[in-house]
Amino acid sequence: MSTTFTKSMARNIFYGGSVFFFLLFVALTVDTTHTLPKRDNSQNITPSVERGKKLWETNNCIGCHTLLGEGAYFAPELGNVYKRRGPEFIKIWIKSQPTGAPGRRQMPNFHLTDEELDDLVNFLKYTSEINTAKWPPNIEG
Amino acid sequence: MNTQVLVIDPAAGLAREARAPREEGLPGDFAIWIFILAEMLAFGVLFVAYAFTRAGDVELFNASQETLNRTAGAINTLVLITSSYFVMRAVTAIKHGLSKDCAWWLGAALMLGGVFVGIKAMEFHDKFAAGITLSTNSFYMFYLALTFFHFMHVLMGMIILAFVIAKAWRGGYSRQDHVGVETGASFWHMVDLLWIILFPLVYVIR
Amino acid sequence: MQYQSQAVAKPYFIAAIGLFVGQILFGLIMGLQYVIGDFLFPAIPFNVARMVHTNLLIVWLLFGFMGASYFLVPEETETELFSPKLAIITFWVFLVAGALTVLGYLLVPYSTLAEMTGNNILATMGREFLEQPLITKIGIVIVALSFLFNITMTLLKGRKTSISLVLTLGLLGLAVFFLFSFYNPVNLVKDKYYWWWVVHLWVEGVWELILGAILAFVLIKVTGVDREVIEKWLYVIITMTLITGIIGTGHHYYWIGAPEYWQWWGSIFSALEPIPFFMMTVFAFNMVSRRRREHPNKAAVLWALGTGVLAFLGAGVWGFLHTLAPVNYYTHGTQLTAAHGHLAFYGAYVAVVLTMISYAMPILRGRAANSEKAQNMEKLAFWLMSISMLVITLLLTGAGIVQIWLQRISPTPMGFMAVQDQVSIFYWLREGTGVVFLIGLVIYISSFFVKGGAKAAA
Repeated sequence: MSTTFTKSMARNIFYGGSVFFFLLFVALTVDTTHTLPKRDNSQNITPSVERGKKLWETNNCIGCHTLLGEGAYFAPELGNVYKRRGPEFIKIWIKSQPTGAPGRRQMPNFHLTDEELDDLVNFLKYTSEINTAKWPPNIEG
Repeated sequence: MNTQVLVIDPAAGLAREARAPREEGLPGDFAIWIFILAEMLAFGVLFVAYAFTRAGDVELFNASQETLNRTAGAINTLVLITSSYFVMRAVTAIKHGLSKDCAWWLGAALMLGGVFVGIKAMEFHDKFAAGITLSTNSFYMFYLALTFFHFMHVLMGMIILAFVIAKAWRGGYSRQDHVGVETGASFWHMVDLLWIILFPLVYVIR
Repeated sequence: MQYQSQAVAKPYFIAAIGLFVGQILFGLIMGLQYVIGDFLFPAIPFNVARMVHTNLLIVWLLFGFMGASYFLVPEETETELFSPKLAIITFWVFLVAGALTVLGYLLVPYSTLAEMTGNNILATMGREFLEQPLITKIGIVIVALSFLFNITMTLLKGRKTSISLVLTLGLLGLAVFFLFSFYNPVNLVKDKYYWWWVVHLWVEGVWELILGAILAFVLIKVTGVDREVIEKWLYVIITMTLITGIIGTGHHYYWIGAPEYWQWWGSIFSALEPIPFFMMTVFAFNMVSRRRREHPNKAAVLWALGTGVLAFLGAGVWGFLHTLAPVNYYTHGTQLTAAHGHLAFYGAYVAVVLTMISYAMPILRGRAANSEKAQNMEKLAFWLMSISMLVITLLLTGAGIVQIWLQRISPTPMGFMAVQDQVSIFYWLREGTGVVFLIGLVIYISSFFVKGGAKAAA
């Protein structure tokens, strides 16, 4: 180890280094923000999608499922469920919960109206069309 | 960077007096060397990643490389090497206790840093004007990422030099106590060294 | 106890431990639901149990951080707390708000809770870890501000040590980045992008400043090593944390629709993230081996060393395991993520809060250290909890690897639920290990009630 190693220098490097890397992070965030419209499928956000996202949130779907790989790992990935199952299956599935099969994982019934089901499906369709760099590896999510 | 770069706390000053003068060992504060090591590691991994990605798509890399302004890159290489020489002269000057000389040499280095930033900014401007971004292709991703990351280091180095110059001008360093100058110089040499690797790797080697 | 006002830390620590018990109980419920799917359904569906489990964790760690700050700051700044009364008021406000929120989760359907609490005015709910109702979120901000005000005012009138500065900076960052929880755009990519500004920049950013400061404080106290040395290392470690961790946020941006260059930035910088954790381990062991005194509180020393090792394993090793983009492509959102989450939170944050409690609680109760017998119980609890958490992590890693193979790599991929059946043995063993953890926790709490033979006050 070298002969000099002062606390004041360590502190200065801490402040300088942190600010430096935070600025770099902000710069990358600015570039990301500019690039996003090409990837994030935001052109397809309709009022229905907006309502669907709110339904997704207010029923705490993320408490069991993952969406683009983030959430709980108790129930299937839903980022690509629109492509895996299609709109009709999704609606029937949600309506028929809980299955009540003994010993099996149960999903509550959220008493959604037909319009709400459409909104939720539209949200899942929008999500499934986000450019996720080819993730997940296959349709099973 | 904060304004306290050059503040020496009493304890550190004591520790330094007890140890100066010294000839062997790393110049500057040990803390900067930990930082330099981390930086070299990050750049090193980026360089290796560049090499691997290039191996996967040599044609794209060569074609895109053609569009780079090699003259500007070469001039900037000379600019940085010269500035590093000036910084070295500044360290020699302060070792002889010549505060004003030290400040002048560092000032010259700082000016060259400004030249580098100007030339690089023009290059960035050309690329952005041509609609090139980080997402254009993987060559430009690396080109922009590496050079911009380095660009920020040059700016950082200039800020550090500015603080050191200000203190040297006030006579804040001496023949015995010039760790601050050496620390700043070490950072500047790292910035220079990284460019010396970056320039051939990204601009020249095909 | 050197300063009277340090006493306000005590209720914070007690509340923290109490909520910790709640967290573990709900963890056991969820663990059982993994294998007996309809357990407690529909009374406590999995999503509710998980929300309670994770939210209690966050809240009790915050209680722990606050208690630690109230204990640490007066001693570091060598002055009484600016306002002990405010600290007690904040405590009750936070506790009542937290309890009401958890009751809300348990008693009211989530969508009704959202409607009742103003989610229609500003929709912030229903995102992982940020499930709290709007009013709770606002409450958290108010509590954080009054807490920061109290700490900052104390700092301003007293001695400004590096430890107290780093701690305050970490707490300030905690409050600032929490503000991003109020930003919830309809654009899912942007939603996720800034969601990580709370979650990642907390746990792999500013919380590590708090962690480093608390650990440094306890190490100074129990080893007697020169403050100059310890604070120097504190700066170096947190520098490494932030220069790797800030851009390291990119490891969450691979598959959520962000530009693909994040795969490079995220991989490279997060691959360096284990370095500060490794330095922390070396630092803790180094300081203890260079100790200048034999502190009677051996349990606290054990916790401090444990923090170093377990944080490195959980956050460093298990983080690195799946941080590189080509690996993460297969591991993202599997049980491997859960494995990492468990050991990282336990090793870094649970352990450091318990380190502080272990050091401070005897002093708050008027003695330098607990009796031999109490310390032995606490040490036993440390080993039981730490080893069972390590085993849980290994089991979830096993489950994750099988899951990744069957569901994502195999040429004939199986569906999610079919795979879950295949790995149920791992889940059963995990639940059993969870019971051992609970036993460890019970022993830990019992150690506070062991009578007699206390060492004299410091």
